[in-house]
Amino acid sequence: MSTRPPTLREKRRYLLISVEPAGTPVNQKDLYYAVSDATTSLWGDVMAAAIMPAVVAAEGRFVVIRCRRGTERELAIALSTITTCRDLRIALRLVAVSGTIESLRERIRTVKTPVTEDPVPSECTFEKTVFRIHHCDGQKVDVIEKGFKNTNRLFLTREDLEEL
Amino acid sequence: MKITDSCVYPYPCGDSSVRRMALEAKNLGFDRLVAADTPSGEFYGIEVCTGIIIRGTPLKDLINRVKRERNREAVVSAEAGDNGFNRAVISLKGVHIIRGIQSAEKTAFDHVAAKMAADNRVAIDLDLSLLLSGRGITRQRAMHRFRDVLTLEQRFEFPLTISSHAHSIMDMRAVREITGLCSLLGMDIPDVEKAFFGVDIIITPPDPAVKVIR
Repeated sequence: MSTRPPTLREKRRYLLISVEPAGTPVNQKDLYYAVSDATTSLWGDVMAAAIMPAVVAAEGRFVVIRCRRGTERELAIALSTITTCRDLRIALRLVAVSGTIESLRERIRTVKTPVTEDPVPSECTFEKTVFRIHHCDGQKVDVIEKGFKNTNRLFLTREDLEEL
Repeated sequence: MKITDSCVYPYPCGDSSVRRMALEAKNLGFDRLVAADTPSGEFYGIEVCTGIIIRGTPLKDLINRVKRERNREAVVSAEAGDNGFNRAVISLKGVHIIRGIQSAEKTAFDHVAAKMAADNRVAIDLDLSLLLSGRGITRQRAMHRFRDVLTLEQRFEFPLTISSHAHSIMDMRAVREITGLCSLLGMDIPDVEKAFFGVDIIITPPDPAVKVIR
């Protein structure tokens, strides 16, 4: 089957999404199911068919999601209702919308990475409990309780650690 | 006027410290947070107000609690109950917000309560956590109740507040995303802005009905 000429192709839009919390490994297929489920649940089958969401790329903490042109708003609203991706708690933050993946890749390159001022120790105590520092990104520090009983992630800042 | 998320739960109720929530709120476009059971302050340019949420208490205990909290500079909220309870709470001086109207019975908030809320400047809270995490009938019911509240708001013009009820930074949403979610309820951008500024309306004292000019 020959490809259609550009004027006959469907116009698409690409959404650049940042996945929170940072450092979460996101499987493209699992994320597609989460996006599809959220879109169908919120807008129904008819609108989901019109939106045609698809996860086209995952680069680090960013993912690129495709939709039909004119349905970006609906997809963005549906994306805000995603809270889990295969039992992993996540949040998707819309960064940019573009007509080409290449411009979004350019955008990813220009997104500044926060400068870490001081080195952060690998362990800290918070509320008399020892925590392992899981991720540090500028002011943001994510910690996990040491041991195997409670592995919930806590979201703190450098100032919270300095207070200890 | 400050764009406010009128209820978040920082650590120990949630898993994020109040500073981290403030930092996230700044990135998401907010100017102020109302944080449950947290001392007020300013972090990363975000004003954090103390929020007191009274729930599951009989009216008599609620009155005593509100009297105790009256001198503190806090945003006092009460969980909605039946119609009589709500009318009594609305007429109570010191209560700023009625929450959980979507979980109360159908007749809990009628036109009389709406008129009283407008007169006493008591806000009704739109809890967006149900729209975010709810699916199916739960979300449909919440949307239906919010639409009903918005119909009364159009008529009586009582204040509205918007809250994410976030227990974590992952439950927080950007101003733009919340605007999109509110559009599902039939709110346009000026309506959403008005609801974001709802906390300003309820914490500033009303202009006196009679002005003495000398």
